[in-house]
Amino acid sequence: MHTANYHRRAKAVFFVFFVLLLACIARLFFIQSLRSGYLASIAQKQHNLFVELEPRRGTVYDVNLKPQAVNIAADSLFASPVEMKEADKQKAISKLASILNLDQSYLKDRFLRKKSFVWIARKITAQQSEAIKNLNIKGLGFIKETKRCYPNMYLASHIIGFAGLDNSGLEGIELSCDKYLKGETGWATMLRDARQKRLDIYEKIYLPKDGYDIVLTIDEVIQYIAERELDNAFKTYHAKGASIVVMNPYTGEILAIANRPTYDLNQYGQVAKDSRRNRAVCDLFEPGSVFKIVTASAALQENAVKEEDRFFCENGSYRVANHILHDHHPQGWLTFSQVIEESSNIGTTKVAQMLGPEVVYKYVKLFGFGSKTGIDVLGEISGMIKQPRFWSKTSIGAVPIGQEVGVTAIQLVSAVSAIANGGQLVKPYIIKEIRDKNGETIKKFSPVLIRQAVSPEIAARMRKILTKVVNNGTGQLAKMEEFSSAGKTGTAQKIEASGVYSHDKFVASFIGFAPAENPAVAIVVTVDEPHPTYFGGVVSAPVFKKVAEEVLKYLKVKNHPIGDMAKLNEVKRIN
Amino acid sequence: MRMPKFILLVCVITFISCLYVRQQTAVYSAAYAGQKKQASFEELLDKNSLLRYNLKKNTSLICMGSKVSESEEFRMPDNYLLVKVTDGSRNRLNLASQKTYKSDNFVSRLFGVKRQAEARTLNP
Repeated sequence: MHTANYHRRAKAVFFVFFVLLLACIARLFFIQSLRSGYLASIAQKQHNLFVELEPRRGTVYDVNLKPQAVNIAADSLFASPVEMKEADKQKAISKLASILNLDQSYLKDRFLRKKSFVWIARKITAQQSEAIKNLNIKGLGFIKETKRCYPNMYLASHIIGFAGLDNSGLEGIELSCDKYLKGETGWATMLRDARQKRLDIYEKIYLPKDGYDIVLTIDEVIQYIAERELDNAFKTYHAKGASIVVMNPYTGEILAIANRPTYDLNQYGQVAKDSRRNRAVCDLFEPGSVFKIVTASAALQENAVKEEDRFFCENGSYRVANHILHDHHPQGWLTFSQVIEESSNIGTTKVAQMLGPEVVYKYVKLFGFGSKTGIDVLGEISGMIKQPRFWSKTSIGAVPIGQEVGVTAIQLVSAVSAIANGGQLVKPYIIKEIRDKNGETIKKFSPVLIRQAVSPEIAARMRKILTKVVNNGTGQLAKMEEFSSAGKTGTAQKIEASGVYSHDKFVASFIGFAPAENPAVAIVVTVDEPHPTYFGGVVSAPVFKKVAEEVLKYLKVKNHPIGDMAKLNEVKRIN
Repeated sequence: MRMPKFILLVCVITFISCLYVRQQTAVYSAAYAGQKKQASFEELLDKNSLLRYNLKKNTSLICMGSKVSESEEFRMPDNYLLVKVTDGSRNRLNLASQKTYKSDNFVSRLFGVKRQAEARTLNP
């Protein structure tokens, strides 16, 4: 009896446990097979954290590999308002407003949001970060980001441009070369502990690809000299704007481009858009007398005149169709060379009348006016030149002296370089090469010959005429003591809104190169609306002189290091 | 015989499990320690790059140029600049040294610079 009971009970217990086991197996099957995907994803979310790995943005260097745009680490401040107590919020609002120079209402708006993450300020300074950390407010946190910084502040600002908060280029080289500079974002899934704290243990990782470095043709020292002298002229003559371009006439390498007004790249958000415009490339203006180099070259190339041929300059007054043309200084008989030296409008018009509109137009195009130079800078415009069939009867007295045409400073430097280098029109360029982070060259840019504008012989004859302009003519303030130079002055009247030429708004310009015999640099200086003096020979020529003089000395020192110089120089001690 | 084997098997499995847990704990604690070191290393790197940037900014041509131009016009040095010690300066030098001898005491005469060179460039 007892045995039978015992067996029954044992079977019952076994049955219960067996049912429980079956239930467990069923549950296990349900979890492992039917719910496995869902539960695994929840677990993965708890254990893993997906993070984007930011690539290093490439550095922008000058030609001597001096950094012009670099990355530095900066803290970005965020808050978690849902985790913060009311007292902490009030403390944060009052303290952060003064540290970050932010409006209290802006901070209130941020801290009153019922969110677990809000940005308070991105990429703050190290001092600000330190001050906030010292406050020790719970609910505030920092995320490390990289910030684009420009150690030379406003130097070459219009060329370099700037990158925004998300490190993407917004202007200049930063924008045009963004695809090279920005690199490729990486990602990683990292482990988290039970407190959701990130551990540096990667489950999976795809490393970011750093951006390439850009090496410019700009030379920091030449750029500084150009900026300094342009700034002096801009301030002295209370000008509306000014530009300078320094170029190697043989290769087309741009050594410096500066514009005024300018801005500090580290504070790009605080300046007017007008100050950010690269005037040397984007602004169109009537060039005035500097354009006479085209007419003169055309006349010599077509063998229409010789330097000694004489022209009667009508004592300063000459009718072309229904328009009376004037010279600034009335002239009588002048040789062709003197016509250019003295910048006679009447003499130049008479030369152009000999050539005819078609020939003048042909050379205007040959020198690259009316089309983009192809410089690797954003926003270049092509300028403006009418085809001869659209010329009016007075155009033959206007186009050859630089009226009724629109040019850019970069076109002018390209044209004057053609005369300096033996007649070859070369493409200006500003990016020398693209390198990876190990210094290996990825892409290299070389000089590009566009076309032969005039023959080498004509270019040599033009160089002599332009040297006389500096030595005896209107460009005497461009004359240097130690180096020879050649160039042409220009004083162009601006057009008023009513369509007539202004009597108090001018563009003063000077284009030239130095040394005259073996040019190392071609320079264009334009000053927009200078006051009270407005002549190109007075306002712009001295800028050319100072820049050319200093740049040539610098290039001499650069090409002959101090050690070599000591051997070359005769060192004397005079007792 | 079966029970002891079973117990032995359970012990081995438990021991291996403990080892595994210990290994995982060690991995995590190493990760925590590495993370701390990495953070301080990155902080140092960031400070270094910031210092280098500030150095670069302060030695930039713009910064130095503005400081130089505050006092006088800066010009590029040329290789022809000569140094001449003129007679006038030599007289002034003698006078200055005499004055120094009279006014200075014994100690300053002993350790001071007795003669000073005065030079000026010939070319502007």
